[in-house]
Amino acid sequence: MLLEVQNLNTYYVTSHVLQNVSLNVNEGEVVALLGRNGMGKSTTLKSIMGLVKPKSGTVTFQGKNVTGLPPFRVAKAGIAYVPEERRIFPQLSVMDNLEMGIKGGKQSTKEGIWTVERIFNHFPILKERAKQQGRYLSGGEQQMLTIGRALMGNPSLLLVDEPTEGLAPLMVREVRDILENINKDTGVSILLVEHNVKVAMSLANRIYLMGKAHIGFSGSKDELEANPEVRAKYLEV
Amino acid sequence: MKKAIKWILWIILGIGLILIPKIFGIYYTNFFVSLAIMAVFSQSINIELGYTRILNFGHAMFFGMGGYGAAQALALIPGMPILGAVLCGMLGGGLLALVLSPLVVRVSGMACAMLHVAFNALFFMLAMKLRPLTGGEDGISGFPIPPFNIPGIISIDMTNPLNFYYFAVAVLGISMWLMWYFTKTPFGQIMIGIRDNPKRVNYLGFKVPESRALVYIVGGSFAGVSGSMYALFQNLFSSDATSGLNSFQPVLMTMVGGIGTFIGPIIGSAFFSVVEELARRYTERVELVMGLTLIIVILFAPMGFMGLYRDLKARWGKAPSLPKI
Repeated sequence: MLLEVQNLNTYYVTSHVLQNVSLNVNEGEVVALLGRNGMGKSTTLKSIMGLVKPKSGTVTFQGKNVTGLPPFRVAKAGIAYVPEERRIFPQLSVMDNLEMGIKGGKQSTKEGIWTVERIFNHFPILKERAKQQGRYLSGGEQQMLTIGRALMGNPSLLLVDEPTEGLAPLMVREVRDILENINKDTGVSILLVEHNVKVAMSLANRIYLMGKAHIGFSGSKDELEANPEVRAKYLEV
Repeated sequence: MKKAIKWILWIILGIGLILIPKIFGIYYTNFFVSLAIMAVFSQSINIELGYTRILNFGHAMFFGMGGYGAAQALALIPGMPILGAVLCGMLGGGLLALVLSPLVVRVSGMACAMLHVAFNALFFMLAMKLRPLTGGEDGISGFPIPPFNIPGIISIDMTNPLNFYYFAVAVLGISMWLMWYFTKTPFGQIMIGIRDNPKRVNYLGFKVPESRALVYIVGGSFAGVSGSMYALFQNLFSSDATSGLNSFQPVLMTMVGGIGTFIGPIIGSAFFSVVEELARRYTERVELVMGLTLIIVILFAPMGFMGLYRDLKARWGKAPSLPKI
C-alpha cells in the first residue's frame, strides 16, 4: 500500500473537522474523495501534507510514518500537493515555476524522471509560455503549471485538490485527460478531491464519499452507481 | 544585438566612473562615494524586504556592526590591511544577523518589523553606553587608514581621496554585483517564492525559516560592508549611524526607487542624495524638503520610480506593470 491514513482527527481551534478519517491509496491507483462543500475533503489532503497538524491518527506513506511532519519533509518523502485555486508563483516565469518543483522535490535516480522537456511534452502550451510570468496565464494554463510543478519533484503520489474548479468546459476535459495520461503513462498514484462528480468518476478506480467530517462510503465506481441512496445522501444537494 | 548594446552600456558606465573625478572634481567625487555607500546599504535591505519580505526596520544595526568592526580592527590590530577591515565589517554584520536569525525568521509581518525596531533601539543604546568599545556619541575616530597593499607589487595611499574613490567604486561595485548574482541564482527564485507565499514554498520541499535566515545573513553582511566603507570614508564611526532614523533611510530609498527591483534602490539612493544636496544649498530645512518630496513620490508613484516606469511602458504595451508588493 502506498498511502494509509488511519483514524485521522483534525481540529480547527475547537471545531472537530476530521473525525476518524481512514483511507488508503495503492500503487498506480486513482482514488477520488468526493462530498459536498465543507465536509473536510481539502482538510484531509492538508492533514496528509502536514499543512494542518492532525491531533491524532496516523499517515503512513510507503511504510514510513509521516504524520504531522512539516510539509517540506512530506514533499521530500514523495508526496506532491496540487492545491485548489491553482496557487502558482505569479511573479516567476513558467520555467522558474517548474524549476521550483524540482529543487524541493525528491531527486529520483530512476529512469524516466520528470524533466522540463517531459513536462512540455505533456503540456505543450506551457512551452509556448515558458518565459511568461505565471500571473499572465489563463486559469487552465495555471492549473497545468501547478500539476507540472508538482510532477517535477518526481512524486509517487499526487494530492490534487479541485483541479477543474472554475475552468471552462473544454479546459475541464483537457485537465481530466492530462491527469489520466499521467497516471496511465507513469504510474503516479493520485488522490483526487473533486466537485465535478462526472470527472472524478471517469478517472477514479475507487471512491470515498465524505459526510460531515467523516468517511461515509468507500467502494468502487460500480458499487457507488448501484447504490443511489448513498449517492443521494452524500453528493446531491 | 541586445548583448552588444549591453556591453557598450557597461563600457560607457565604466569609463564614466573612471572619469567622474576628472569631470566633477573632488567634492562631487566624495558625494558620489557617499551615494554609492547608501546604494549598497539600500540594496542590502532590498534583498530582505523587497525580494523576501523580511520586514527589517532595524538595518542600521548591521551597518553599525560593519562600521565598528572595521574601525576597531584598524584601531586595535597593527598592520591590518584595508580589505581586512572591510572583511571584518562584513563579518560583523553577518555575525549579528546570524545571532538574531533564529528568532527573526520565525516571525513575520508587523511582529518582525516591531522586533527589529526594538533590537535597533537596544543596539543604539548599547552603542551610546559602551564607550570603551564604541566611543559613544563621539564615536571611534582617527584610526589609521592603511594603504591598499599587494606585497611586492603595489601600495596605494588610501588617504588620498582620489585613490579612495577608486577603491570604494571597486568594493561597492563588487558588492552590488554579488547581491545581483545572489538574486539571479536558483535561490533567488526561492526568495521570490517566499515573498509571494511561504506556505507554497514549504510544501514544495524547501525549508522556509532556513532560507529566510540565509537571506537575512547575506543582507546583514552587505550592510556591514557599507558600514565599514562609511567608517573608512569618514575616518569616524559614531552611534548616530546606528540610530533608528538611519534604519529608515535605506527603506525609504528603496521604496522611492522601486522595491523588489534590483535597480530601484540605486535610483532611490541617487535621487535622495541629489535632492538632499540641492536642498542643503538653498535652505536649512532639508528635512522638510525631503519629506515633501517623499509625499509627492509616494502619491504619484506608489511603487517607486521603477513602478512608474513599468506602468508607463505597460501603457505603451511594451512591458508588464510592476506587481504590487
